[in-house]
Amino acid sequence: MARLVVLGGGVSGHTAATFAAKWLGSAHEVVVVTPNAKWNWIPSNIWVGVGEMSKEEVTFDLAPVYAKAGIIYHQAKALGIHPEGNETSDKPYVVVESTEAGKVGKIENIEYDYLINATGPKLNFAATPGLGDANGLGEFTVSVCTADHAVHASHELQKCIEKMRKGERQKFLVGTGHGMCTCQGAAFEYIFNIEHELNKAGVRNMADLKWISNESFLGDFGVGGLHMNTMGFAVSSKIFAESLYTERNIDWVIGAHVNKVEAGKAHYELLDGTMGEESFDFAMLIPPFAGVGLKAISKTGEDITTTVFAPNGFMKVDANYNAGSYENWKASDWPKTYQNPTYKNMFACGIAFAPPHPISKPMSSPNGTPITPTPPRTGMPSGIMGKVVAQSVCDRILHGADAPLHEASMAHMGAACVASAGKGLFTGTAAAMTIYPVVPDFEKYPGTGRDLDYTFGEIGLAGHWIKHILHHLFIWKAKLKPGWTLIPE
Amino acid sequence: MIKEIITYPTPPSVAYGTDVRVFNEEIFSLIQDMKDTIEANSLDGLSAFQIGSYFNIVVVKQENGEFLELINPRLISNSGRVTTVEKTAYFPDLTAEITRYETISVVYQDRDGNQHSLKADGAFAILLQRKIDYTHGSSFINKLSKKEKKLFERKLKFGANIAISEVCPTTFKRDYIIKAINIVLIAMVILLVSSLFLSKETTENFWSYQLYASFLAVSLSIVYFFYAQYEGKRFTSCTSCQIGNIIGTAVILLIKLSIITLISYFILS
Repeated sequence: MARLVVLGGGVSGHTAATFAAKWLGSAHEVVVVTPNAKWNWIPSNIWVGVGEMSKEEVTFDLAPVYAKAGIIYHQAKALGIHPEGNETSDKPYVVVESTEAGKVGKIENIEYDYLINATGPKLNFAATPGLGDANGLGEFTVSVCTADHAVHASHELQKCIEKMRKGERQKFLVGTGHGMCTCQGAAFEYIFNIEHELNKAGVRNMADLKWISNESFLGDFGVGGLHMNTMGFAVSSKIFAESLYTERNIDWVIGAHVNKVEAGKAHYELLDGTMGEESFDFAMLIPPFAGVGLKAISKTGEDITTTVFAPNGFMKVDANYNAGSYENWKASDWPKTYQNPTYKNMFACGIAFAPPHPISKPMSSPNGTPITPTPPRTGMPSGIMGKVVAQSVCDRILHGADAPLHEASMAHMGAACVASAGKGLFTGTAAAMTIYPVVPDFEKYPGTGRDLDYTFGEIGLAGHWIKHILHHLFIWKAKLKPGWTLIPE
Repeated sequence: MIKEIITYPTPPSVAYGTDVRVFNEEIFSLIQDMKDTIEANSLDGLSAFQIGSYFNIVVVKQENGEFLELINPRLISNSGRVTTVEKTAYFPDLTAEITRYETISVVYQDRDGNQHSLKADGAFAILLQRKIDYTHGSSFINKLSKKEKKLFERKLKFGANIAISEVCPTTFKRDYIIKAINIVLIAMVILLVSSLFLSKETTENFWSYQLYASFLAVSLSIVYFFYAQYEGKRFTSCTSCQIGNIIGTAVILLIKLSIITLISYFILS
């Protein structure tokens, strides 16, 4: 009997674990280690953050789902990996610390034959003074990164709406809270959902909305922008975004590294090296992501973290980490199998793998501060990676250690994204976009690096309906309800 | 080499704009062509897009007569608003009122790939904004307000700054019929997808519902086809391509309907 241990139960880890359990059956063990008791459909958190959904609608308990799937579930956080075992045993294992009520702090070793690292990110609020600290979100801003954060954000938004109803003008600042953030899309959705809610509440004329982000142009979204092949024209996401911000009367500052947050004020440095500050009554600033801080220890007890993990804490995989400068970047730099180059029975998927370099053009201020979106590895690509890695591991367990690995490079992968710009059965809008490939391939597609025949975008009510249907569809899939395997990632 | 400046109604020979990644002779030669073209046409600036290149490059002629080369320019911050009457080489002899930022901050690269920044205000800021509009494949028409855009489209038709009394609308009442048909189609898809997850007893009548919905969609398509033609004829300034659009739209709707009905037949009947 072989044992697969999956670290993390987010989109990628949950997909990997549930498919592995299905393919391996009861002859082998699948173990999930995740500190969370609940699964969260994160894309819908933005609706929780404006009070249009409850926390319960975007989360569910993991234990009964894993029990049904025959997955062994440890509610715990992983502390370290011992890929060579220890002095008394060659069997690799992970050290975990329980987060389950009644067992909090209990340390346990879990042996494995194969390991999938899908821990997702640490929300690194501490990277920006005032945005938060080692314990998480600070007191001056809100976040929609978790369901609990989103509930808090919704309460704060309601307070602002009440103030506006009483005639007090409010300023909303939404975007990224550091020069190296990703997930601009989530912030984009949130600012437009706020705008939509303020309109619904009849207080839009009392609000000033401002977007602040590390993108060098509006519509970069961390993927260097995209071109939407609409009605025979290749419309840049820059034009699309600028039009939308103008239409909704949302001002913006871009190329910004937020370097300090105080009560009602965000300080930032721009790509041109100048410093500025922006006041706010309500701010939602996405934090940068980092690895969750896993340690790797050799058989002799030596710290080999730098061998297994990149400096940002994400796990090294089969990527080219020596690609050099922007002009040398190639699609082939991106990992295909997500296998760790040192320990072949370890894989990393979703946000947990270390990307070789950004997708957007790297930029920095004259002061040397890097201000570049880091590459997104969430959503659809994250699920696809999880499934492909599970396929590889299952093949190796079922057909031998030499079984070929499955591939899913982000440079050969398309992605669909539906970005909400307001919720409502008849008044909602969302931008539905497809992009192929996620990572531009400038050799295959000179110019934009993407195949414009498969890159599409449209904004409207239908997009909102799609997003809402996807919300139910993916929660259905994650709960492993009938037909879940038929629903794509 | 002096290049031909693409003017309306010729569409740009490239469909999009993209950043320069490799700074090589091809780029330097393109910049030289832009300078030659600016001089030959007595222009104040050009974007590479205007002479048929997809690279994000802007060259402007400064007051002192020297050229400023901006590769991969980005407008990162701004303040104030100012409305002026502008013209651009793509739309010769035409002007439009455009609201721009009064002062801007731009970061860009030089031909060695080094990053620089500049602050601009007044006419220079407006010129830079107009040229940067062309990077990523846009033009100043996308910066016009709805009202100004409508007026500009009328000017385009006559090729000069004159207005005409009748406007060919960009939205029609017939669009509501298309919306209704699309809603019916989406409802059919939802019914079809939900049948995969529901029990046989629940989905027993789904096929008949699909049939009713398809009859409704066909009826609406017929109404659309005739009403759209009637509506089109009311606007004499509209182009004859309308009839093609109407037929095309109706055919696409019917194809979509046929596919959904066919799949429904095999799954539900």
